[in-house]
Amino acid sequence: MTTQLLPPRAVTGLRGAGRLATIVLDWRPVPWSTVVDHYAVYAAPAGAGWRLLAKTVYPHYEHRGLKLAGEEWSYRIVTVDASGTASRPSSSVRVASKVSVTVSGEPLAVVGSFDGKGLELALSPGGYARYPATFPNGVDFRAGTDSPGTGWSYLQPGPSDAWAGRRNHLFRLRFDLAAAPAADVDLALWLIDSHASIPGTAVLSVNGTTVERLAFATGATKGSTIGDSTIPGSPLKPSYVEKPLPRGLFQAGENVLELFKDQGSWIAYDAIGLYARH
Amino acid sequence: MSGLGAATVALGVAAPAHADATPDRPVPSGAFALGVASGDPRPDGAVLWTRLAPEPLAADGHGGMPRRPVPVSYEVAEDPSFRRIVRRGLAIASPELAHAVHPEVRGLRPGREYFYRFRAGSEISPVGRTKTLPATGRPASSFSFAAASCQAWYHGHFSAYRHLAAQDLDAVFFLGDYIYEYGIVAGGNLWRAGASVGPEHGVEIETLEQYRLRYSLFKTDPYLQAAHAAAPWLLTWDDHEVQNNYGADESRYGISPEHFLHRRAVGYRAFYENLPLSTTSLPAGPDSRVFRRFDVGTLARLNILDTRQYRDSLPTDEADRQAERRTLLGAQQEQWLYDGMARSRATWNVIANGVVVTAISDDRTDQWDGYPANRRRLLSAMKDTSNPVVLTGDIHKHVAAELKADFADPASASVGVELICSSIASDGDGAVTDAYTKDWLRHPYVKLYDGRRGYVHGRMTPDELVSEFTVVPWVEADAEAPAQTVARFVTPAGTPGLERQV
Repeated sequence: MTTQLLPPRAVTGLRGAGRLATIVLDWRPVPWSTVVDHYAVYAAPAGAGWRLLAKTVYPHYEHRGLKLAGEEWSYRIVTVDASGTASRPSSSVRVASKVSVTVSGEPLAVVGSFDGKGLELALSPGGYARYPATFPNGVDFRAGTDSPGTGWSYLQPGPSDAWAGRRNHLFRLRFDLAAAPAADVDLALWLIDSHASIPGTAVLSVNGTTVERLAFATGATKGSTIGDSTIPGSPLKPSYVEKPLPRGLFQAGENVLELFKDQGSWIAYDAIGLYARH
Repeated sequence: MSGLGAATVALGVAAPAHADATPDRPVPSGAFALGVASGDPRPDGAVLWTRLAPEPLAADGHGGMPRRPVPVSYEVAEDPSFRRIVRRGLAIASPELAHAVHPEVRGLRPGREYFYRFRAGSEISPVGRTKTLPATGRPASSFSFAAASCQAWYHGHFSAYRHLAAQDLDAVFFLGDYIYEYGIVAGGNLWRAGASVGPEHGVEIETLEQYRLRYSLFKTDPYLQAAHAAAPWLLTWDDHEVQNNYGADESRYGISPEHFLHRRAVGYRAFYENLPLSTTSLPAGPDSRVFRRFDVGTLARLNILDTRQYRDSLPTDEADRQAERRTLLGAQQEQWLYDGMARSRATWNVIANGVVVTAISDDRTDQWDGYPANRRRLLSAMKDTSNPVVLTGDIHKHVAAELKADFADPASASVGVELICSSIASDGDGAVTDAYTKDWLRHPYVKLYDGRRGYVHGRMTPDELVSEFTVVPWVEADAEAPAQTVARFVTPAGTPGLERQV
């Protein structure tokens, strides 16, 4: 009755892409004829040995929670089949994550902490039902004066949200600059999660000038009730927007950045900020 | 078992002709900790099931079994003492199937009660009771069944199964949500008093080892095991066997269809491994056929549906929702169902499915309310079918409803009845009425709503169907709650409707 269990094939095509605080891995799955239990993702930071990072059933893994200053990692994948038998490791790949402007820049105005959590924001983690009464006219936040815990809602609804009146919602960030910036300014807008199918878009404007329409990544529709994406196994799906804004948009004295959510459903904030370049 | 090939050996259905029933090495004690089961009954047999798991909660999902095949023998007898053994056989429990076996016993007599047990090495399983269906094409005097669904282990005790297992049943219909994929967290969703779980249960399951472990956790419940051992089960799934509210290859949680199929594949695999299903339901990659049909002589035809794997996407707007092309069942299953209904000679035609057919509100798009054109086609087929009876789960409420030829006209003729069983434990204790009561009872064709836990008992004869809705008043504190019948309906053969007696 003794039977030798043959190991499954190793995956091929492993590739990685560095993003903010995240490295995204993809590979070609083994054929369906192999019943896969999971793919074991092994990782090694620069100068250290391999360790099991995660198990996933998908031919895809997002290594999150990396340092904002950027990290470099090597990866390889082991296929584990339904019998529990492991393949030899795949070829390895080395990938670096991007450096965030929240590290490389000088903060001009920041709401919240860029830490994968929205818990410091108003109504977090599950108070969305109180949004209409608390923020009947949206958010109007003055940096340096207002508190994120009361002044910036953790969710920005959209017109698809019945609980928020099925209408558009404006979030406004006011901040003062001692002088007009000498270089372009960087916007950092981090989300701990968003709606899974219709995160939609928002119009970004600065001092009354429309800059562009921001499209948000699909999330997991869990961030309306869960505020921390850093817990191991968290179902949240964070996403990050960092983009340069032309210096000519800004002025000495008061400046106003607006996000007008006129399409889709909600987004769940981690933090939002503007950064000057060194 | 002659004539069965290598494939059935690999699938835990049979063993090679020369196979020795004695394992190479001792089988760990307590190997039958997950109990026994039978299912997919036929006039001449049934599928028997067990899974060797001396440590059911081993985190790798292999139940504490060594990674080698183990011969498992079984006996089928006419009496619970096994004095009159009528069948013996051997199957190979392999690590590829988490050491589950699914022997398909044939050669039994129709309409008879049988008892079965397994042996692996010196380990002997508990005894299970099963029952064959009446002879094909012959009349049958009665068919007694229970219908159950939605067994969130972490929300409460399975006391409803304690009562169900004490019934004299010909079969148990399970209508979906055998497991739930959510993380189980003390202080969060773990409401089952006295229960605790390790951190490996605290995250949403995704890999095969996690799905296997989740089945093991739920199956450790003694009353679920007792219910499996009491009668053959006819199972279908709903969404939580894979992920909440999924449809076809679409997750509602931001997973791409290409990736989600890998999740579906392990969910379907674990479903097959852990339940008494025939090899026709063995998944091939991300696909598995679970819609199938059984005949109870000429008394009843049982159509088991799959309302998840083939459904169209959620509607994008009202025009899309109303589109004539929309299907919940998929074209192939629809045709299979309508053909089976049209050709049926049975007095009763049962449709066991995962989601509510009765029209309740346009925004319940996960149910048949999201597929009105498909529902019209189904209701049209029912008009030409003898005594349609729909059995449903999903909503964690007891509901009884008359199915109208045209739900837009509640005065239109009734073409069948829908008996919706509440959950075994999902949503905890529940209450007689809740926030949704009015939403359902505003319809004149809805005859019962009760938000407590329980199951439905039915007894069909050539003259009538008597359906009883049983509840247990609590499930969170302990498993001691008594059973109460909150409603009894009679549906006379030839007169689709619900005549309330209690």
